[in-house]
Formats: sequence, structure tokens, C-alpha cells
Amino acid sequence: MAGSNRFLSLILVLGSLLVIFPGTVYAGVHDWSPGEVRTLKSLWIKSLPTVPQDPSNAYGDDKLAASLGRKFFFDKRFSGNAKVSCGTCHRVDYAFTDDLPLAHGMGTTGRRTMTLIGSAYYPWLFWDGRKDSLWSQALGPLESSVEHGISRVFVVSIIFQHYRKEYEDIFGPLPPVGKLGRLLARPASDDPGAFKGWLKLSLEDREAVNRVYVNLGKAIAAYVRTILPGISRFDEYVAALNEDRAGDLKGIFTDQEAEGLRIFIGKAKCTNCHSGPLFTNGEFHNLDIPVSEKMPFDAGRAEGISLVLADEFNCLGNFSDAKGKQCQQLWWMDTDTRKYNGAMKTPTLRNVVERPPYMHAGQFNAIREVLDFYRGSKNPDIEHQSLTNSDLKALEAFLGTLSGPILSLGE
Amino acid sequence: MKKAILSLMILGLISWTGCATTQTAHDDGGMHAPMTQHYEDSIFKVTENGEFSVEVLFPDKKVEMGVNNVDLIIHNKKDEDVTGAKITVTPWMPSMGHGVMETPVANEKGGGLYNVKNVVFSMTGDWELRLEIASGSTADSVKIPLPPVGAMGHTHTMKAPSPSEIDTSMEKTSMKGQFNVSYKSDVHPIPVNRLLSWNLDVKTADGQPVKNAQIKILGDMPEHGHGFPTEPEVSGTMEDGQFLVEGLKFSMPGWWVVTFHITAGEMMDQVSFNLLLN
Ligand SMILES: [Cu+2]
Repeated sequence: MAGSNRFLSLILVLGSLLVIFPGTVYAGVHDWSPGEVRTLKSLWIKSLPTVPQDPSNAYGDDKLAASLGRKFFFDKRFSGNAKVSCGTCHRVDYAFTDDLPLAHGMGTTGRRTMTLIGSAYYPWLFWDGRKDSLWSQALGPLESSVEHGISRVFVVSIIFQHYRKEYEDIFGPLPPVGKLGRLLARPASDDPGAFKGWLKLSLEDREAVNRVYVNLGKAIAAYVRTILPGISRFDEYVAALNEDRAGDLKGIFTDQEAEGLRIFIGKAKCTNCHSGPLFTNGEFHNLDIPVSEKMPFDAGRAEGISLVLADEFNCLGNFSDAKGKQCQQLWWMDTDTRKYNGAMKTPTLRNVVERPPYMHAGQFNAIREVLDFYRGSKNPDIEHQSLTNSDLKALEAFLGTLSGPILSLGE
Repeated sequence: MKKAILSLMILGLISWTGCATTQTAHDDGGMHAPMTQHYEDSIFKVTENGEFSVEVLFPDKKVEMGVNNVDLIIHNKKDEDVTGAKITVTPWMPSMGHGVMETPVANEKGGGLYNVKNVVFSMTGDWELRLEIASGSTADSVKIPLPPVGAMGHTHTMKAPSPSEIDTSMEKTSMKGQFNVSYKSDVHPIPVNRLLSWNLDVKTADGQPVKNAQIKILGDMPEHGHGFPTEPEVSGTMEDGQFLVEGLKFSMPGWWVVTFHITAGEMMDQVSFNLLLN
């Protein structure tokens, strides 16, 4: 059934190609040199190792924790207006991001929501890498006044009320917590009232609240670790190459898509940053992408470096299950913030055409705008030969082949 | 520098009779006499109250993160060279609302020329020079926007020699010939985007293993102007002459140069390895 569908769409694609590009002939476009094949295999989903262990999260691969984490992920009670869950911005129907230039929870944030596809593989989370684990990442938005708009104390009270048994089955008995006082109590620099409420809790209660809060993060992380890219048409293409089924290549990619792929790994130098099976190096670059003048200056990674070091929930902190050099990314992290002013994380290109807008503040509405911007860039990291309009069209066509099913727990 | 002073003196002579290129500062509607810009590639600005004109030159032909060298040519209202002025220089970053810790000092070179050697730009982005100039009883100030300060540590972008010209051998003699150094990566071929450890073997020229060396590591993509996204370290001596280097990470495919600065007792030398990653 899927086969006949593909056949049908192939005929449609080829037909439309004839209409749009009657004169374009790509000679030998499906022939690849050994060096190119090596590069293609490095981008192949089969080159993706199994999800790396997170030594800071002892529950990362716990199935019960993952299914509880999924409940937390979609539970809107974890918000100040009972309308926002993690799934509000990380929409399942939109490749685990949303369609807004700037994320919107209780209010509007300063950056675009990142997709969660394959995020278990990234050493750094968020555009500025201010978090070094998925569990720590999950805890940030809950206490942000423009995202979930609640506090760790509030989170713990919901767990006491609605998740006691499920929580205790995984993490052991909930600690006795005295009077929680102000529900919005949190150690927050942006809300003195909330901070005072937090300090009024006993040290033991603060420790207990933190522990339960962290465990919620670890459960959510266990779920998010299961969100992975599936096999895309690009992966089928490389599979055919790998199995020496040269005759099948034409049936999987149009000539234009193959040409786009060649440009992607060749003269456009996209793989300088978009490397590996997730099409990202997970690192930070400032490409001078224009931002609306109304937006305040965003220091990006330059700030993220300081934030992740100071974070009580980082890999080297008290709530991490790892220590020392097990926290290898943090241990070896470059602390020279001056190099990273305005730098943002390279996002994955898996399923990219399905999830506009693009860039850290949703500056571009269409892939073509992104490609146009890069064409004109003089940044040495992406310095490339000149690209024609038909090159950009081919690149765009190729990017469409990176879409596949997105796998997540139980689906 | 001598050349600059000489030409300034010549230009100073010209200015007695009238200058080669004469500009009226557009900022303040020509409230004062015309002032002179000597060089085409300079930044020229008249101070807020029109008391002085300032011409900013970069003798090293670059503006980059770190220490910079700046020349200032100062004229007064009558377009005469200003000598003996007291100049306060503050590098300022308007977008961040801050300056820097180091205060640069202006040294008078004569003929209206002042050189400022230690202008530090602590991060990339748009900076300005804020100058306060006092000469006799006249004082005035000016903010001079500068070209953007280069990204990622240094601005040089070197064209790569063709791959066949790049020596990628993993065993090399150091620059001054003091050491023979070789490396072995824990993962080979070397992948991008992965934390790696290298085993560095350091021997003296006559083949003796080196003990107790201090080793500094520097990564560089000469074409891109950046290095590692990490801070690699020699984390241990495995045995005499064998050093464990941890925390190396190559964030991109392409041409990399990894340099080791080695100090062992009286000996001090450096060795660079080329890598072509894909
Ligand atoms: Cu680079």
C-alpha cells in the first residue's frame, strides 16, 4: 500500500518536474564519489548511535519514569493558568515545536521554541546551551513567568495531590514536607516576594522540594529521550547506496533532490555545522542573523556559558547522579564567553521543512528565506562558492527529504 | 610609524596653506571652520562642541578582539595640529552599556599625532571610542563608532593550501628542533563533534622521553578564525614522555591546526599538527 502510494507520488513528482524544469538535465546526478558516499553515510540515520546514557539522570532509561514523564509533559495543571503544558510549545503535531516566531506560554518569551527531536544526543540544551541535561532543561520553563509561570513548590503540591502513587513507585516515598507556605515560592531573582517565601521554608523542606522537583525533571527527561527521528527518504536513499542498489536511487530521489544533496555536502558547505545524522554539530555560532530592532540584544551562548556554570541543577551539582569527569561536556566546556557573543546553537534539520518559522527568534518564515540569507553570508564558517537560484531550489527540495516519522514513547 | 609621522609633517606643511582634502563635518551643520581628513581609510569626526577634529587610524590595519593599536590625529578649530593635549580614551560598547577594565594611555608622537597602544576590546560586536580632549583652556569630547570587532577570537581567515600541500603527519619535529612529538587519538579516523583524548608522545631530539613537561594546547581552523569549542588539557602523565590530552573536540569538518606549546626545564618549543577532517 505504502509502495503504491510512493509510486503514485513519484509519478506526480516526475510529472511536475517535467512541467517546471523542462530543460534541466542533471547528468550523473546519482553518481557519488567514494568521499561523497562517506559523507552521506555520516549523515545517515543508521550512523546514529543508540541514545547516549545520561550519567546525571539515574532514571533516564527507566520505562516507568518515561511514562510518568509523558503524563507530566502533557499535564496543563503544571501552569499558572492551567492552560500550559510542555506540549503547548513542543506540539506533537508540529514536530515537537510550535508555529510561532517566539514561544508563548503564560506570556511571550524572547526566543523560538526548539524542537525536541533527538535532543537526548545534545550536550547543550536551549539556543544558548544554558542547560547541560534534559532533566535540568525541563525544570527551567516551569519557573519562568512567561512559560508555565509556576514554582517548584507548586509542582510538588501537584505531585502530592495527583501523582503520589506513581511517583513513589519509581522514586520511593515522597519526603515529608511541612507547610509549603506560599505556593509560588521559588529562589527567583525576578520575584522578590517568591524568593522571600522560598527562604521562609526550612532548609529541610527546601531540600525535599528540590529533590521532588528534580525527580519530575528526570521523569520528563526519560520521556523526551524517546523522541527520535524516524527513517526519512534521505535515509532510504543512503540505504540504497550502501547496499549498492544504484538502480533504486532514481526511484527514491528526484534528480533535483539529488542535486540539492550534492550542493548541501559540497559547495554550499552546509555540513560545516549541520553534520552527523541529526544534521547539527550541537555547537554555537553567531551568523549575524538579522533580528527585529524591537528585540533586546541577545548575547546567546556568551550568557549561556555563565548560566550553565551557575545552575544548581547542572551535571556537577548536588542533584545530579554524575560526578567529576562523567560530566564531560561541562568539564571541558569552553568558558571564553567573548567568543560566543550572540552565538546560538545549530538546530537539527530533521523534519525541518515541516516546522517554520526558522532561526532563534523565528526571523524567517520560509526555508527559501533562510537559504537566501545564507547565500549572502560572508561568515568564514559557511563561506561558500556562489549559489544560483536553481541551486537554492535544489537545496530546498533536498531539505524536504529529511522528513520522516517522529518516534516517541509508545508510538 | 616613522612613515606616518613623516607624511603627517608633510601634510602639516600643506595645512599651512590649505589641505589636500578638506571636509566639513556633517554632524553639526558647518558651525566651524573646515577641518581636514588626511587619510581615506581613517574614521573622521568632529568633537561635540566643534573644538577639535579627530582622525582615527589603525596602523595594524585591523580591529579585533583583544589588544589593539590606535592612532589619533587631532586638529583644532583652525585646523591646526594640536600638541600637548591631554586625552582620555575609553573603549565603550553601547549595546552592552559597558567599557573595559584597562584604561588605555595616549602617547604623543608630535605633529598632532597620538598613539594608543593598549585599546582592549573585550568582546566581539560594535564598539566606540569615547575621547575627552583637553588642550590649554579648551576641552571637548567625542564618541567615535568603530568598525565591528571581529568574531570568534580572531579575524584572520587564511585560505587553505590545497590538501596535497598540507602535511598531516602525526609525528613531527618541533619548530626549533627541540622535541620529537607524535600523537595518537583514542578514536581513529578522527570524528567531528566528539570529545576525544590524545596520547601525546614527547621525546627530546636525541630520543629521550621528556619528563614533567608543561604543555599548552591550541586548536585553530585557520580558514574560519576559531578554535575548539572546548578547553582541552593535559590531564596526566601516563609514563615518561607520554601525556594524556583530554577534552579535544573538533566542531567542524575541514582544516584544523593543533599546536602544542611544550616547556620542559630549559627547553621551550612548539609543534603544530594539521588535520583534514570530513
Ligand atoms: Cu569553523
